Amino acid sequence: MSNMQLGSFGQRYFNMKANKLRYGWEKAKRSKVCYLFLAPYAILFFTFFILPICISIYYSFTYYDILQPARFVGLENYINLVLQDDVFLTAVKNTFVIAVITGPIGYILSFMFAWFINELPKWLRTIAVVVFYAPSIAGNAYTIFSIIFRGDYYGYLNSILLDFGFIDAPILWLSNPQYIMPVLIIVILWMSMGTGFLSFVAGFQGIDKSMYEAGYVDGVRNRWQELYHITLPSMKPMLLFGAVMSITSAFNVCDVPRALAGYPSTDYAARTVVTHLFDYGFSRFEMGYASAIATLLFLVMILSKKLIASALEKVGT
Amino acid sequence: MSENAMIKSKGTILIGNKNIRGELRCQDDRAAFYNVKNEEVLAIEYSHIRALKNVRNGGMASTITMKLADENQYELMLNTGVKVFNHMYAAWPGKPTQKSRADELHRLAELRGEKIQKPKKHLIKRRHPNRSIGGDIGVYLLLTIVAVAMGFPLVFAIGSALKPLDELFRFPPTIWPQHPTIDNFSDLIVTMGQSWVPFSRYLLNTVLITFLGTFGHLIIASMAAFVLAKYDFPGGRTFFNVVVTALMFSGYVTGIPNYVIMNSVNIIDTYWALLLPAFAAPIGLFMMKQFMESLPTALIEAAHIDGAGEFRIFWSIVMPNVKPAWLTVIIFSVQSLWNNSAATVIYSEAKKTLVYAFQQIQAGGIARTGQAAAVTVVVMSVPILIFILSQSQILETMASSGIKD
Repeated sequence: MSNMQLGSFGQRYFNMKANKLRYGWEKAKRSKVCYLFLAPYAILFFTFFILPICISIYYSFTYYDILQPARFVGLENYINLVLQDDVFLTAVKNTFVIAVITGPIGYILSFMFAWFINELPKWLRTIAVVVFYAPSIAGNAYTIFSIIFRGDYYGYLNSILLDFGFIDAPILWLSNPQYIMPVLIIVILWMSMGTGFLSFVAGFQGIDKSMYEAGYVDGVRNRWQELYHITLPSMKPMLLFGAVMSITSAFNVCDVPRALAGYPSTDYAARTVVTHLFDYGFSRFEMGYASAIATLLFLVMILSKKLIASALEKVGT
Repeated sequence: MSENAMIKSKGTILIGNKNIRGELRCQDDRAAFYNVKNEEVLAIEYSHIRALKNVRNGGMASTITMKLADENQYELMLNTGVKVFNHMYAAWPGKPTQKSRADELHRLAELRGEKIQKPKKHLIKRRHPNRSIGGDIGVYLLLTIVAVAMGFPLVFAIGSALKPLDELFRFPPTIWPQHPTIDNFSDLIVTMGQSWVPFSRYLLNTVLITFLGTFGHLIIASMAAFVLAKYDFPGGRTFFNVVVTALMFSGYVTGIPNYVIMNSVNIIDTYWALLLPAFAAPIGLFMMKQFMESLPTALIEAAHIDGAGEFRIFWSIVMPNVKPAWLTVIIFSVQSLWNNSAATVIYSEAKKTLVYAFQQIQAGGIARTGQAAAVTVVVMSVPILIFILSQSQILETMASSGIKD
């Protein structure tokens, strides 16, 4: 008896699934035009963004130097990365330090300043947005920091410090391993108010003002309560977008250390995961090894996005 | 259509339970409904309502329904089913708002020949709950300091580019030159003129790539964004989630396999190696799709009923209505293409970009310090200028940029 019930349940479940599939297929057939519209983008997107990730994962299990066909080596690349490659561990440490410091600080600063400039009159707000956003779109303007932090007497910072008598001899900001990381962090923070910042500014402008009125009636007393109970919940989508942008820029640091600290830098003090990848991929042509680095980096980024998305779920509730 | 043109549409208006016949007259800054006796029944100021452009530009509506939603709010319906504005504050007879009452007082005072004391415009709009004065000062002091710190390197770059040779290596170094000169820029032109490949070729490459890449990206990404935003079809949502994840891929992570792929389809060392990935940049599709979501679905449905095909709807209804998003997509695309030195996929010197040529000059060492600074200024000024010119539209688009999880 019970067997029959179970059987009929299974049958029903199967029928339901089949119906759903058939329904989906019917729907897909009816939306042919949609696929037609999507096709040009989808094909290019698949070829240059999805396929590369798949290929990268495949190569990460092989030895491949472009000249010879890829040879399958199993987990060797990953094992070497973690157990033998000291430079990689330095790179991971540096990337981690940069990401943990510049990611959250850049994110919070972007949000704070978007909040502060929200109430300025329009013309002043426009100037502020341009000033804060300009460094992140200024191309390779960060190379100007190589003059500011130059290691000789003509370096701007050195000359100021010498002038005031804080130091007796110029400091080699960009070649002394002790100073490279702090300098890099400053430069990266300088460039951290990017697309996420713009999104925040626009998000603040878009909040329904009557929500605040309602908030006062319901007993919101100060700015912090207002921020936590009204502003943050209405800006959740922007916050997630900003987080994605912050993660991207925090983990993909590569051009700044290469331009400022040299490539390779002294004692690998400015080596990041992406410069390591660049080194193996484009200088040594060990594509399999570089792909293993790329795959790991990719996994870490997706993981951090998931973490932040679930943390943002809790905001304001 | 001139700004002061008045557009009339006949229709009925529903106030409370009463239907009043008459016509809606739209001027550049307000719409008012007049009954058959030519009396103003209702007026709405709509200077900030973007969607009303449809009515101002003639629109597609012949009848318009205004509905009183509650004490403060009106809905305006076109006969095509499009809600033009919804829940907005408006003035109507019987209960003037504060603003219109003040305007009225001003008008009366002027008639009487009295001098009106205009209310002082406050720099900081005070609202409840307030920060303390000290808090205000603290916040704006902090803002100023950070703004100066953020702007300093850029000002320093411009200053360095204007310094003559002797000032570049002066001790102690100065921020702004005492005798500004444009020698560095003219030297730059001389150096570029002597290069193996003529300067104009690099410029042509960059302009061509930036223009074609941006144009193609705009069309292809908008087509995809349109169906993703406005139609529900199997796989659409999944596809968009994948695109959001792809926002995080940097060029370096996908660089190696991309090289392999481009090599197998034989586009290495052609413009296509730059153009094709630029066409599919995820950020453009993302921005476009989020912005198109705010377009009223009824607009598209109405066009469907009128018998327009999908492509016609896309081209003549959707695209003209998302112009702010165009600009944003264009900016992001121009920015990335302009800054793309493309050294890994393009080998022929004659196909390289301006930024690549500039980077070679910057790599020229101490002797070219002045020119390098000039290069920095040239490279950075293009995206910054474009941003300044289009920032209001960009911010409008960014307002819909959030990721709804």
